[in-house]
Amino acid sequence: MLARLVRLAPLLRLSPGIACSLLCLACMALASSNLVEAAGLLAGLKALFGSADAGMDALVLHFSWWPRLMMSLLAGGGLALAGVLMQQVLRNPLAAPTTLGVASGANLALMATTLMAPGLLVVGREWVALLGGGLAMGLVFALAWRRGLAPVVVVLGGLVVNLYLGALGIVLLLFHQQELKGLLIWGAGSLAQNDWSGVAFLAPRLLLGALAAWLLLRPLAVLELDDASARSLGVSLRNLRLAGLGLAVFLTGCVVSVVGVIGFIGLAAPNIVRLAGARRLGPRLLWSTLLGALLLATTDQLLQRYSGQVSGLVPTGAVTATLGAPLLIWLIPRLKLRGDQPPAGATAPTGRHHAPLRLAGGLAIGLLAISVVALLVGQTAGGWSWQPPADWDVLQWRLPRVLASAGCGVMLALAGTLIQRVTANPMASPEVLGISGGSAIALILAIFLLPSPDNLTLVGIGTLGAMASLAILIIFNGRSGLLPERLLLTGVAITAAFDGVRAIVMAGGDPRGQQVIAWLSGSTYYVDLTSGLVVLGLALLLALASSPLARWLDILPLGAATSRALGLDLNRSRLLLLLLVALLTAAATLVVGPLSFVGLLAPHLARLLGFSRAGMHLLGAALTGALLMVLADWVGRQLLFPQEIPAGIVASLLGGAYFMWGLRRL
Amino acid sequence: MTRLPRLSPAPRPRPLVAGHARRLALLLTMLLAMLLSAPLAMAASPRIATLDWTLAETLQALGTPPAAVAQIEAYHDWVGEPRLPESVSDLGLRNQPNLELLADLDPDRILTSAMFANLTPRLSRIAPVENFSLYSPGQDTWKEMRQLTRGVAAVVDRPEAAEQLISDTEARLVELQRTLPDDVAPLLVVQFMDARHVRVFGDNGLYQAIMKRLGLENAWPGDTNAWGFSLVGLEELADLDARLVVVEPYPAGVRDALAQSGLWQGLKRQSQGEPLVLPPVWSFGALPSAQRFAEQLTTALEAADAR
Repeated sequence: MLARLVRLAPLLRLSPGIACSLLCLACMALASSNLVEAAGLLAGLKALFGSADAGMDALVLHFSWWPRLMMSLLAGGGLALAGVLMQQVLRNPLAAPTTLGVASGANLALMATTLMAPGLLVVGREWVALLGGGLAMGLVFALAWRRGLAPVVVVLGGLVVNLYLGALGIVLLLFHQQELKGLLIWGAGSLAQNDWSGVAFLAPRLLLGALAAWLLLRPLAVLELDDASARSLGVSLRNLRLAGLGLAVFLTGCVVSVVGVIGFIGLAAPNIVRLAGARRLGPRLLWSTLLGALLLATTDQLLQRYSGQVSGLVPTGAVTATLGAPLLIWLIPRLKLRGDQPPAGATAPTGRHHAPLRLAGGLAIGLLAISVVALLVGQTAGGWSWQPPADWDVLQWRLPRVLASAGCGVMLALAGTLIQRVTANPMASPEVLGISGGSAIALILAIFLLPSPDNLTLVGIGTLGAMASLAILIIFNGRSGLLPERLLLTGVAITAAFDGVRAIVMAGGDPRGQQVIAWLSGSTYYVDLTSGLVVLGLALLLALASSPLARWLDILPLGAATSRALGLDLNRSRLLLLLLVALLTAAATLVVGPLSFVGLLAPHLARLLGFSRAGMHLLGAALTGALLMVLADWVGRQLLFPQEIPAGIVASLLGGAYFMWGLRRL
Repeated sequence: MTRLPRLSPAPRPRPLVAGHARRLALLLTMLLAMLLSAPLAMAASPRIATLDWTLAETLQALGTPPAAVAQIEAYHDWVGEPRLPESVSDLGLRNQPNLELLADLDPDRILTSAMFANLTPRLSRIAPVENFSLYSPGQDTWKEMRQLTRGVAAVVDRPEAAEQLISDTEARLVELQRTLPDDVAPLLVVQFMDARHVRVFGDNGLYQAIMKRLGLENAWPGDTNAWGFSLVGLEELADLDARLVVVEPYPAGVRDALAQSGLWQGLKRQSQGEPLVLPPVWSFGALPSAQRFAEQLTTALEAADAR
């Protein structure tokens, strides 16, 4: 840590104080110029104190502009404070309200409450948000408990919980678009105010929280020592941790219930302050809170100034999430993480099947059986029925979907197997590493910016997006030798950027946004026979293309030295493999959306079944992936008949559950 | 039919009256037969499936209920009147209707609107698809609404029902316009999304079309999206000189929050008269919704005027 900071010192000759003052100046300049534009500086300042006899302009300033400024300061400060507490208690520089799943838990809880018991919202939104956030964080901790809350496992758990709750949220959204419109705005973190009640709610609670943090300051500082020395000072570590985390969740819950999900302030502010040289807990708390407040206020002032040029609403929280992602990517290589070694357990060799080909044959028969069921069994107006195989009237609807889901399953499974083998990282997959996310961002941009893109253009653009994600992964982690954990963390950051873009699109209410939601949910609904055949054909083609690369895959995980000794051009082989991953991911993402976990799940299941050599592993994973997707598609079509749950969502609910289970066992 | 003979014998056994009774019975039988044959003739009209609630509402108002509609439960929440009969099948989501089910129901025609245009190639494999548009930018909405009603009626082969519906609605609107108070201030129609954001309705929407028809002015000068509304923060309503009209429903808790909101209280004070609150009306609807909105708006304006 010290060495790193010394190396950074010439770059950042900033003390926290100077950083805050600079930002404060920028914020004040922006705010006053906004104020001058609205009403003139003097009138604007006067409007802060009263509105009794003033005109409508002053009223807007008094009840909207000023509370919004105060709210951005309070919310930013509160989130940063919560971030410092979480980071201190967990000794994890990446802990933050959003990375621990608190925010998305609160979001889902509010959605569910709106639909099922709207009366509760009148009693208290903040308590619903608090409960949901607390439960989500509890889940993350439960996942990471066995590994002693190791930083990387906690963050990975948070990522999966975020994705999982997000998928559940999309299901609710698909079926209740109209009722949940308001929550989309809230979920994206809009700071708009129209009275002082939000500020009046938040200020005393944050003050209380800050006071509690100050009282906990000395005991919490003990946590910087290792557990044994801390215990020898007579501190009850468990109670201390509970108190610290409880306080952090309380602060987050309060902020989130008022202004919604605001990304990255809680992560960025404490880390910037630490990099700027604040090392003891006291100064870190103080400066982080100030910096967080100023960061959010400045972003919001900038947004108010320039959002006039965009039609519709641009929510601040989603913007900070999108802007924060590059910052996180930049930060990751500069952080010292405890337990910087590959998660062991999962790489432990599982039983190796003595006749993998026979096993593969069995899987193929299983796939065939599932496909036949998906083709011939289904519900109609009169209930369940079995279709005669020759009845093209019904088959014409089912066949394309079976073909496409099988194709996507194969492609995602291949991509997952390749990336897990290349990075020697059992938790890697296109979804977790943000490759799907990058592809999805590119596709969303294409849908919005191009007049009417055809499918070929979309595949091309999606592949470019996936390749950009891969490039980021490699450039920022290449020097550390693609350490598994850092790679995963960079993936978390890209996924977070994708979440931000998605939230902005969905809050705006643009009709194309509906299209995007439909597509993000990953349904095979729009596939016709030709494209179904194309998808499956492409999958088979790419599968054939990857089979000669199996030898590389056997060698690469042995390490750079061994690989070179065996005559492998490391860079070229890696590049080729990663290109293949990008193409596979983009093609599959285009059909089933970025949210399925099949790329993670299929390689694992294949390994568990006993496929261990690379070639056989690829084959087994491809068959498993196809089987999973066909099953997910069929289940999704039958479960809520006549309404259809998209295959991508069903697969991600299955795959996410498996990932959590796998993480717990790490 | 079988009950008729028992009903028909007159109580008094006089021959003359008995002859009358027999003729009466014959007449009654014929009448009943005619009554029974009417629904038979209706059943012979084509079976229609539709994804669009506006078209479903129009079909129902024309007296020819559709055979299948998407998201029926949500239709009853958001469109409300006219209610669909129990016999109508649910097709699932509007954006992704269940194609297998639709093919199985085997409708004679499928009616859709521009919002679902991307489904047309697929739907037309099941039955001929007819596309209707309403609220196209730059078009006279009322003219479009008439065209839509006539078009739908032509599909179910009941042109006279369309003329009836149009003339009834227009006559009612004229009547309503006469009862309006003099010099109504420009109206600003909003619907709350949460306590801080509203949809404000303008061009390309039902509310705007009705206000124009009734000779009322819409105060929203800004752009609207393809669905006829714009999503804005409350503060953007501040410089408008107008009377506020709030269309229900309020999301949970919003009413209480507004009671304490300084900005909303300020907007209420600034409003030209107490804001009007109207029960929910499908804001993208056709003639039935139009008439309901007109009735409610007029009633509210009259009541406010009388106070």
